[in-house]
Amino acid sequence: MNRVEIEKKVLSENEQIAARLRAALASAGTLALNFIGSPGAGKTALLEGLLQRLPIHTRAAVLTGDIQTENDAIRLQRYGYPVRQITTAGACHLDARMVEKHLGDWLDNGLELLLIENVGNLVCPTSYDLGEDAKVVVLSVAEGEDKPLKYPGIFRKAELMLLNKVDLLPHVPFKPELACENARKINPAIDIIETSYTAGIGFDRWLNWIAARAELKKALAKPMAEFAPVS
Amino acid sequence: MHEMGIANSVLEAVHKELHRHPKNRASKIGLRIGEFAGVDEASLRFCFEALVKGTPMEPLELEIEWCRAENGHSGDELDLAYVDLEESREVSA
Repeated sequence: MNRVEIEKKVLSENEQIAARLRAALASAGTLALNFIGSPGAGKTALLEGLLQRLPIHTRAAVLTGDIQTENDAIRLQRYGYPVRQITTAGACHLDARMVEKHLGDWLDNGLELLLIENVGNLVCPTSYDLGEDAKVVVLSVAEGEDKPLKYPGIFRKAELMLLNKVDLLPHVPFKPELACENARKINPAIDIIETSYTAGIGFDRWLNWIAARAELKKALAKPMAEFAPVS
Repeated sequence: MHEMGIANSVLEAVHKELHRHPKNRASKIGLRIGEFAGVDEASLRFCFEALVKGTPMEPLELEIEWCRAENGHSGDELDLAYVDLEESREVSA
């Protein structure tokens, strides 16, 4: 018997494509956000609310992933931004190859913000790097406060948690402070914004969160020579 | 739920390795998985067995080393650590 040490990532093909995507997004100065949450957490509605409120002239686009149907793309297309549906035909997550394939020429045209709505699932999408700048996890108050403890992977990797449907709080036993405490137990650095599409809550804070990162991304994309001392 | 894709990627990597050692077959493979990798061991083993069953790869043992997010481990590991090779027996017709 002969043991061959391989020491290779199982998903190395995805990692390679994600690295290529990340480089392309960096040179285009495009901020990419990967939205992950359970089915029904409100990802599509939140993106609708965001698209309605983006400052005019923002160059944004949406990729939305589902196992079947174009329904989410149809919902999101109403706001005038380019939207492409990725149907995974059974796969429970988006992978970097799907994103690369559906991007088309968007990055050549000065895209500032790429919103990627992953397939509704708190587990599998966590393992697949899409080249994004940040993962954003959506948790709704119709779920349990212990979701961060049950699914620590995504709460550890996410930079922002949107605690969604807070307009329902008077009607459900959900304790928001407990949910936030659980999320911070898993990831002390996570940012948390309470949101509601129906009541229009949280969008200003969320837009500021995005704008700061988008500006930084754009600034970093400028040729380094611009920052070099004048000789 | 994505364990089938993972099992498939693992077997592809094993095939690649066997390509380099044409006179061998794989008897055992070792994976290293972090506690936050989002992988369920039971379903990974189920998918793995389903993919191997009835193929020339059978029998193929799967060893999983779980690692916690400490001592420099991120907990996100999903690595193919090793493949054990043995000389392949001639299959008589």
